[in-house]
Amino acid sequence: MIELSFQQQENIGFRYVLDSLSPCSPYGAERVRALRPYAPAEREELRRQLLNLDRVVRGQSGCAAPLGKFQRVLMTMKDVRRIAERCREEALGEIELFELKRFLIQCAELLPLWNEIQAVLRLDCAPLRDTAAALDILDPEHNRVASFYVSESYSARLRALRKQKRELEERIRRAAGEEKEELQRRRLLVAADEEHEEGRVRAALSESLRPSLPAMLANMDLLGELDLTLEKAAMTARWGGCLPELTEDEAELVGMRNPVIADALGKRGKSFTPVSISLGRGATVLTGANMGGKSVAMKTTVLNLLLCQCGFFPVAERVRAPLFDGIYLISEDLESVDRGLSSFGGEIVRFNQVVEKLRGGFSLLLLDEFARGTNPDEGAAIVQAVTEYLDRQNAVTLLATHYDGVAEHGSAHYQVIGLRDLDLAQVRAELAAAGPEDGVELIARHMNYGIYRVEGPQNCPRDALNICRLLGLDGEILARIERAY
Amino acid sequence: MAESLSRLLAPYRSASIIGMCKNAGKTTVLNRIIRELAEDGGTLALTSIGRDGEATDLVTGTKKPGIYIPAGSLVATAADLLRLSDFTKEVVDTTPYYTPMGQVVLLRARSDGNVQLAGPSMTAQLAELNAAFFALGADKVLIDGAISRKTLCSRRVTEATVLCTGASYHRDLEVVLEDTRHVVRLLTLPEVGSAALRAAVEKMDNPRGALLAGENGVVPAAGSLDTILRGKAARGAAYLFLGGALTDNALRPVLMSNAPMKGLCLVVRDGSKLLLSADSLEKLTLRGASLRVLDSVNLVALTVNPFSAYGFSFDRRELKSRMAELVPVPVIDVEEEE
Repeated sequence: MIELSFQQQENIGFRYVLDSLSPCSPYGAERVRALRPYAPAEREELRRQLLNLDRVVRGQSGCAAPLGKFQRVLMTMKDVRRIAERCREEALGEIELFELKRFLIQCAELLPLWNEIQAVLRLDCAPLRDTAAALDILDPEHNRVASFYVSESYSARLRALRKQKRELEERIRRAAGEEKEELQRRRLLVAADEEHEEGRVRAALSESLRPSLPAMLANMDLLGELDLTLEKAAMTARWGGCLPELTEDEAELVGMRNPVIADALGKRGKSFTPVSISLGRGATVLTGANMGGKSVAMKTTVLNLLLCQCGFFPVAERVRAPLFDGIYLISEDLESVDRGLSSFGGEIVRFNQVVEKLRGGFSLLLLDEFARGTNPDEGAAIVQAVTEYLDRQNAVTLLATHYDGVAEHGSAHYQVIGLRDLDLAQVRAELAAAGPEDGVELIARHMNYGIYRVEGPQNCPRDALNICRLLGLDGEILARIERAY
Repeated sequence: MAESLSRLLAPYRSASIIGMCKNAGKTTVLNRIIRELAEDGGTLALTSIGRDGEATDLVTGTKKPGIYIPAGSLVATAADLLRLSDFTKEVVDTTPYYTPMGQVVLLRARSDGNVQLAGPSMTAQLAELNAAFFALGADKVLIDGAISRKTLCSRRVTEATVLCTGASYHRDLEVVLEDTRHVVRLLTLPEVGSAALRAAVEKMDNPRGALLAGENGVVPAAGSLDTILRGKAARGAAYLFLGGALTDNALRPVLMSNAPMKGLCLVVRDGSKLLLSADSLEKLTLRGASLRVLDSVNLVALTVNPFSAYGFSFDRRELKSRMAELVPVPVIDVEEEE
């Protein structure tokens, strides 16, 4: 359903967000590995997850102390899921029983902390189950120490055998020669009996643990879910975000940011221009000069819709978003080059596959500079036709293009602000002071990467001409360009 | 044994027992130490580098004694070997270290018994395991070293080391004596003093790279040993540190040429990085170069076993007395009664 390649996930900044998660427990790590978008049919489950995340984001400072302790216990946990699953059918060995006992001790430590946390957060989830009965089986003497041995208290026969073995060992220590060898032989026989009896006891223990296995496995699930939710909350604390409202088909994203781009800009002392966009069923066209603004807006939109559908808070001020059956991104990436097709050929093959899939349900489709690799006249015609087609599909489509005459074939039109609000006189003055070498950097600084909704017909902005003017293109050439416009 | 091994080891909290070869009497020595230490009381902890303690030698198929530990001892061994160990086992902890025979686990012996050992084989892991043993209350840690990994037991891992040699090494007594003397020399090379060099090694990006150190500071070096020594940077250098191994093959062109080596000190991480014959070592010394290590081994005793697993034996008094003349550490006959 989500058909983003690893490279695309990296490209839009989704991997960056995932890589920032560092769950405390193996159960949380398991959840991170298994992360996937919720299907529209799982809307209620997604809503529950998002509301729980909201409770953590808003309430975690009210229970910071027990939460910290809770996470410290999580950090010491080992993955015993397979051991528990094996225990359903087989007798466990001493190391496995040790691992289960340690898990049960950890559960016993977590339970009071969980109750404290729940009193504050009131999460909507299954409770952490009390597994004290199972712990009592593995810790009959109530030592609550995380070491395990097959205790004599389980079996009178075991007690007798160990006593016998100990007596022989005492005698071996003092004996020598043939007597010692004879004692060692006898000891080996007793040790073999001991091992056999221990095996019988371990089988009996494994069996008596069986009724508690569902509770143990449920606890592993719950701990994984909690661990992941805490990590999602940490991600929101790092980059900001909001509880999204789930809609039927329209998306409204206000003040979105893209962490990977924002962090990279931050390192260079620059800041990310927040992006806002509304998308409905049909095709929305995004236009603008070739200065990067379109791609960023596109990546940021798909990232935040994807985060939302995966149960994260989108990195935005306000979000209303639907759930999609499929999310597809067609961009000029290395994939097509790898397959030996031209970039245009690759796009068409990929587009055909996606069109087939659009029939499978409500989809999100993003096309970044579709058909950019072909000549402008043909390219514009292709993109116009594609836009017209997609506008009638059961999909939310966002197309970024620099071709003219595309916007009127879609339902809505956005444009990169670019140099629209530029005070040309002021920039000229700055340019004169800076000298022509710094002109490119200066224009980049004045470029507004935000987008705005265009009402009524309008072609691509003429930023290219402005750039030519600002950078002092030869007067005669400039005059010719102006005539051609 | 005329001199008690446990007395020689008394000042140290950890010791490793390593063998020149299979059947050098390592297990006999280990059992002797365990018995002597058990009489003194205190908690013993045991592990091995790689695998050891089989009833039959896996390589040569000869019968071997097992390691027998007293109740209360701590053991780190691989999970698959538990069923081959017959002491009453209490699982105390698991470790993140894995061997071909499963995960390494920590056990406490609740009875006397035989143990099969297979521990981690990396220096850092052994050092961490030592710390875990001490945290669990061990008074002395013994590490059973495996064949051909002699100097993993540098002082970073154990404070003291016992080397075992014997008739099983070679049929010819002269070969046993000469090769053992050579190994002892390599194991006991002095540590390099230069703090500047040590600091530079710590910061190296490539652990197998080389460094030249002298009056002009420490600079990285690249290429074959011969190339490095003929380079400009080598002039006036006091130390040449080699991150990888120093082998006969690398040294041969240098020894055959007139590359300047007088006064130069060659430094390697530890004795395990020296794959040098006695002949090369001799020639190196003749050319005025010396050898140092970053981590030395504290060899406290050499044990000799006059009986070969292959059915012959040496004169025990001759073996012991001649060996004692060749090495600067106490020599102990493993089979001699106390």
